[in-house]
Amino acid sequence: MSSVQSFGYLDEYAKKEVRRSALKAVAIPGYQVPYSSREMPMGRGFGTGGLQLTLSLIGSQETLKVIDQGSDDSVNAVNLRSFIEMTCPGIDTTTKTAEASLIQSRHRIPEQPLREDQIIVLQVPYPDPLVLVEPSEDKRKQMHGEMDYSRLLVKLYEDMVRFDEITISHRYPTRINGQYVLDPSPIPRWDVPKMNHSNALILFGAGREKKIYAVPPYTDAEPLVFSDVPFRVEDFSDASGGRRACRICGCRSSFLDEYSDSRTGETVYQCSDADWCEELSQSTEKPAGVSNA
Amino acid sequence: MLELSAIWKPETQQQLFRALLNAMARPGSRESNVIPADGEAIGLPVLAVLVDAAVTLADPHQLLRKSDWSLLQAAEKSADTADYIFCDGNRAPEFSPKLGTLTGPEQSATLIVSVSGLNSVTTRLKLKGPGIAESTTLVIDGLDPAWIHAREDWVCEFPLGVDLILVSETQLAAIPRTTNVEVL
Repeated sequence: MSSVQSFGYLDEYAKKEVRRSALKAVAIPGYQVPYSSREMPMGRGFGTGGLQLTLSLIGSQETLKVIDQGSDDSVNAVNLRSFIEMTCPGIDTTTKTAEASLIQSRHRIPEQPLREDQIIVLQVPYPDPLVLVEPSEDKRKQMHGEMDYSRLLVKLYEDMVRFDEITISHRYPTRINGQYVLDPSPIPRWDVPKMNHSNALILFGAGREKKIYAVPPYTDAEPLVFSDVPFRVEDFSDASGGRRACRICGCRSSFLDEYSDSRTGETVYQCSDADWCEELSQSTEKPAGVSNA
Repeated sequence: MLELSAIWKPETQQQLFRALLNAMARPGSRESNVIPADGEAIGLPVLAVLVDAAVTLADPHQLLRKSDWSLLQAAEKSADTADYIFCDGNRAPEFSPKLGTLTGPEQSATLIVSVSGLNSVTTRLKLKGPGIAESTTLVIDGLDPAWIHAREDWVCEFPLGVDLILVSETQLAAIPRTTNVEVL
């Protein structure tokens, strides 16, 4: 890396733009603030929005954790982490959630509850929940401005009529501070309640769609539901009604990924959050885990 | 050779931005990361973080020097139309900042208000709203009471409104438009 490269890859003007937008996003919870997303040396859709936020936030004292679907070792996380390490000399990286001051994540919020001194940046492919029901961005902006989410509720209602169930598995539309409805990025339903009155600031960056939005700490984040159809998260019960456990750490309170064992063909389950799983595997005393369901 | 004050250096600006972000995310929390500017206007470090040629700035109370303007690079506009307004908290606001629109609430002004202090009590405010667990108290020294009433008018129609950044010589705090303010 040449020494003339500025810390954090982006030039100071690009950082200022992202910083101004991030402050506005925090001040107007759930509102998608447009910003001039820069070209990054990777394809849009690979987390460039989250990356621009991270690079504008990060300082040389930072301890950074980068995860992709809960894993520190998958391709997207490894590439983003090594890019940030290369362009931000002096920072520390970690896989431990508790040690990180800044977490960039794709599609998960860690199982371990975050603290006030931590910030999580989520990578967002599609920032607008109204895109399901309205193709024109101009009209969507107006609908957001008028807090008009009736068509989104009709879509949920149609699901109830056809399937007796709201069929949105991830990107569950969530109302922030009783006002704007946002797309919480493709996190599973399991993670949606973690946004409600979170201790940590949650920032969202959509690079291709050029939007930044936020859920401030201690802010209401309610998934869109009907009064007689309560929100529910993924159910990990087996046929006999017992809660499935992670095959590695035995945790019965985490979000599980389903795999097929390539040798036996058997279906197995393990924690999606790699750090959570490792911490539990190593600790002698297994806690009951965080309550989420 | 021109020796620039630390407030124009990227490392300082990054640290101050994090303080600003935390202040905006947790209204009423006092951040102590402000490096006192050498004989420059109180609040200039915050402007140095936020302002460049892409935005407009108003200085209705004439707090900035000519050399500050050339480093900030922002175009000057009246307080009624500017993106950022730099003001003296001791003087009552005599302008109506832009509040944004329903489809573009981000096109509203951010007010950087210099105050005498955020430790001693002249004005005591009780704050509630997003970013605050239950309620919190913010004490301000050197803020004309007219500010609180003017702000109330500016933020009464969410999402329209303005966001306030209060800066003393060494500290800062923010009151975004979502915060409910009660004078104690």
